[in-house]
Amino acid sequence: MTATVLLIDDDSDFRAAVKSLLESHDYKVVEASTGHEGLRMVAEQKPDVILLDVMMETTVEGYGITHSLKYSDEYSEFRHTPIFMISSIEESPDDRFPMSAEVEMIRPDWYLSKPLDIPKLLRLLDEAVGARKGAVA
Amino acid sequence: MSPPDAPESVVVIDDDYAMRLSCGKILTKMGLPADTFEDGAHGLAAVAATKPAMVIVDLKMPGMSGMEVIARVHEIDPQIIIVVITGYATIDTAIQAMKCGAYDFLPKPFSPDELRLIVNRGLERRRLALESQRHEIEQTMLKRRFVTFVSHQLRTPLAAIHQYLDVMQHLDQASDDPARRREWIGRCLARIEELQSLISDWLTLARVEGGTLVRERVKVDLNQVISDILRTYQETAAAESVSLEARLPASAMFVCGDRNCLSVLFDNLITNAIKYNKPGGKVTVSGSRSDGEVVIAVADTGIGIPEKYRAFLFDEFFRIKDDEAKKTTGTGLGLHISKRIVSEMGGTIVVASELGAGSTFAVRLPAWSEPGCSPGPAGGQNDAEQEATTHCR
Repeated sequence: MTATVLLIDDDSDFRAAVKSLLESHDYKVVEASTGHEGLRMVAEQKPDVILLDVMMETTVEGYGITHSLKYSDEYSEFRHTPIFMISSIEESPDDRFPMSAEVEMIRPDWYLSKPLDIPKLLRLLDEAVGARKGAVA
Repeated sequence: MSPPDAPESVVVIDDDYAMRLSCGKILTKMGLPADTFEDGAHGLAAVAATKPAMVIVDLKMPGMSGMEVIARVHEIDPQIIIVVITGYATIDTAIQAMKCGAYDFLPKPFSPDELRLIVNRGLERRRLALESQRHEIEQTMLKRRFVTFVSHQLRTPLAAIHQYLDVMQHLDQASDDPARRREWIGRCLARIEELQSLISDWLTLARVEGGTLVRERVKVDLNQVISDILRTYQETAAAESVSLEARLPASAMFVCGDRNCLSVLFDNLITNAIKYNKPGGKVTVSGSRSDGEVVIAVADTGIGIPEKYRAFLFDEFFRIKDDEAKKTTGTGLGLHISKRIVSEMGGTIVVASELGAGSTFAVRLPAWSEPGCSPGPAGGQNDAEQEATTHCR
């Protein structure tokens, strides 16, 4: 069965490139350009994996989304959906956000920088989706 | 350093009991909390503990001398204002003290009024110093935020271009899609132009912030400047189905300024008017002279600017988010730069807008008049600086 990837990023060019890439590897890709739209899509599309931009416009919206998905009751159904956070800056969450709350939410190896390394992305997605399918089954 | 809003207190150090008593009384009557001490050691302990705004110290004391107190107070906090009390005819030592960091001196005998005067002047001086220090810190913070923000703005288009090219390379191995390739190449080029615009605007702004923008003050005919700009954008406007109209007087409209800067100023307004317009719309640039001012209005027939955004329009990086992609490109610096240029020239810029109908930006600048252009208002630059080439672009 085709896995669904939800791509949340405010840059339409970045989305277009990643969407083409993933579709060519048999993923179904749905997009959102804002955090709000992204949360709505999570509920609607129930993605298998989420790719989430850390900094949309000038606010660090990405972390807010991750927080909602991991901790709020409203999204409890999606608590275990793998989230890959994407940043324009090559920096670990530890460096950028020394506050432990944020860092705990994110797996260090699921914090990616733009432009996405294609073989690495495909491998990570494959593993994440595979693990989920395994767990669900 | 004492916190900015701490009450200003004074420490008095003098071995003479009568002096301590009377100074204490006068200061208290001025509403200043005052503590008095009979020797340097005790006085310094208090200074370290309470961080007063001012220390009044007798130069000639047994034990620790006034000069030593000055040095120590300075070590504790250089912002503390030090006033030294000197004996008869000891101007030399007073000057010596001032060279070591004392703000002023008060020769004995002095009247309460003389004390009050020096205290008030000293405290005022300290307030100004703290104010400018706070301002400097604020500027540094703003600069840092600015750098972070601009760096993000630069990385974003670069990341998109890089991603397109990486994916293109990857996909081309498996299949050929000329249409997609053409589209993506177009998008990369568009993002590159965006980058170039941003860098250019950023440099202009850096010059504005650095105060190096408006230096040349010569007689410039705005008629000519604007006509040149309209000519430059004739094709661009046509491509957007927007017509350009000039309602400029036949005679010249002279102002004092830098020709390049004036060009940047109106270029920003006119390109905005073209960009934020409707197909089939119009940009009208009109000019007039009145009361020693030149007034230029740039009007568009666009969608107008919602009331809630008007206060932020001239802020750095401010852009109104729109669903249509084309309207979110642009650096958000154009209007800010324009406003800075206008301000430096002693003029004003205002906007009037009606939703659905369009917006009009009106620039007022002092008109050129005899005997000619004088050095700028913010000026005071010497000739050497004025000769240095500075360009807006």
